[in-house]
Amino acid sequence: MWVEGISSSGWRSHVYAMGHLATSSPTNPIRPALTMPIGENATNSLRSRGRPRRNTMSVRAASDTLRKGIAEFYDESSGIWEDIWGDHMHHGFYDPASDVSISDHRAAQIRMIDQSLAFASLPDESKQKPKSIVDVGCGIGGSSRYLARKFGAKCQGITLSPVQAQRAQQLADAQGLNGQVSFEVADALNQPFPDAQFDLVWSMESGEHMPEKKKFVNELVRVAAPGGTIIIVTWCHRDLSPSEESLRPEEKDLLDRICRAFYLPEWCSTADYVSLLRSISMEDVKSADWSDHVAPFWPAVIKSALTWKGITSLLTSGWKTIWGALVMPLMIQGYNKGLIKFAIITCRKPNRP
Amino acid sequence: MRLLTHNMLSSNIKGVTSGFPLRIEVEKMVEKEVELNADFLRNMFAKVEWKALVEASKTLGYTELPDNVEPSMLDSDEFLNRFHHALLELHLEEGALVCPETGRKFPVNKGIPNMLLHEDEV
Repeated sequence: MWVEGISSSGWRSHVYAMGHLATSSPTNPIRPALTMPIGENATNSLRSRGRPRRNTMSVRAASDTLRKGIAEFYDESSGIWEDIWGDHMHHGFYDPASDVSISDHRAAQIRMIDQSLAFASLPDESKQKPKSIVDVGCGIGGSSRYLARKFGAKCQGITLSPVQAQRAQQLADAQGLNGQVSFEVADALNQPFPDAQFDLVWSMESGEHMPEKKKFVNELVRVAAPGGTIIIVTWCHRDLSPSEESLRPEEKDLLDRICRAFYLPEWCSTADYVSLLRSISMEDVKSADWSDHVAPFWPAVIKSALTWKGITSLLTSGWKTIWGALVMPLMIQGYNKGLIKFAIITCRKPNRP
Repeated sequence: MRLLTHNMLSSNIKGVTSGFPLRIEVEKMVEKEVELNADFLRNMFAKVEWKALVEASKTLGYTELPDNVEPSMLDSDEFLNRFHHALLELHLEEGALVCPETGRKFPVNKGIPNMLLHEDEV
């Protein structure tokens, strides 16, 4: 209760962007999703119909604010995360049946990468393995360096945070990955690459920050080479049942509180991603709910925050980091209620003649 | 920013039809020695836009790359060394990447390009 008290009082004026989303299905043709003005509570805009389209300028301004918020959040928090958890800024992958010790968490984060590659049936043999990779929302480059080393490939990482990009490059250079791995400050919604560059398009826990899921997915597809693989690992909300237009009010409420602290725009479901990818003719679209495989993660993060090192680090970081830390129990709540899902979605771009 | 990276970046400002390659404005450039990996170079050769690499290396003061190339040149150690040097050892630390169509400058600070587009460019 005290956590929710702190996170909900006094921050209502905090601006955050809303999601843009379109979907199609056999019964519903693609329709542009609706945009909401800044500051209103979000419904799942995928299913909302019948409201007037707002001025796109207000949407862009909102996107800019979100982008700035994300950059500042990570500029501020990356160092403390790296200090305590290392260079992978994503969930570990755990066997639901076994007990987990604290020391296993870093290994679990590596397992998350390997399991994701396996799920996408990524080829390992020399001729077919990816030669060029893009890490979309790369953090401090943990995945980039791991994938580049694993495949002997070239990897570009993009992030909104200049601090992260610097640190990522520093680590790459220090680890002798000179030339193989490089990082830029760039927007996943407008990737600074020509079309069809990458054999592997990797988005590990960055999708939840993207305000326009359709644009996000379109960019992932645009930069993928023909025959290339796209892997998205991200936080989604539960799929809606056919009779549901949107999440229940108390569910939206919980997500809103998380969104404000973590600089997240509106959430979508795993089914939404699958639908988007299929609607642009991606092949072999697969998805899975890995929520059971990440259950130990948030409790472990909270535990690490409550150590002496954790508390002192938080107190010397900024309020954005502290607020993010305070909201962590809400993530556990979300998972426990079956509202938040840890999802993987993969597909292949068709080989065009 | 190495020229391998420059070879991958383009200006995707709304309305721009040929945003590649970006021109380079140099404020500070350094050379950093890096171990040569012939396999990596051979893999990259097919993916590199050669003309863009030659132009970019000239901007950074390196003029030893041949204007025209073919795969058989990868057997020559001398060629590999020059290719390696241009691709991986020349660094733009401070300066800008310039959109060839609009002239818009994307800053490069501490070796990291900032390719974020403004509101009116998307």
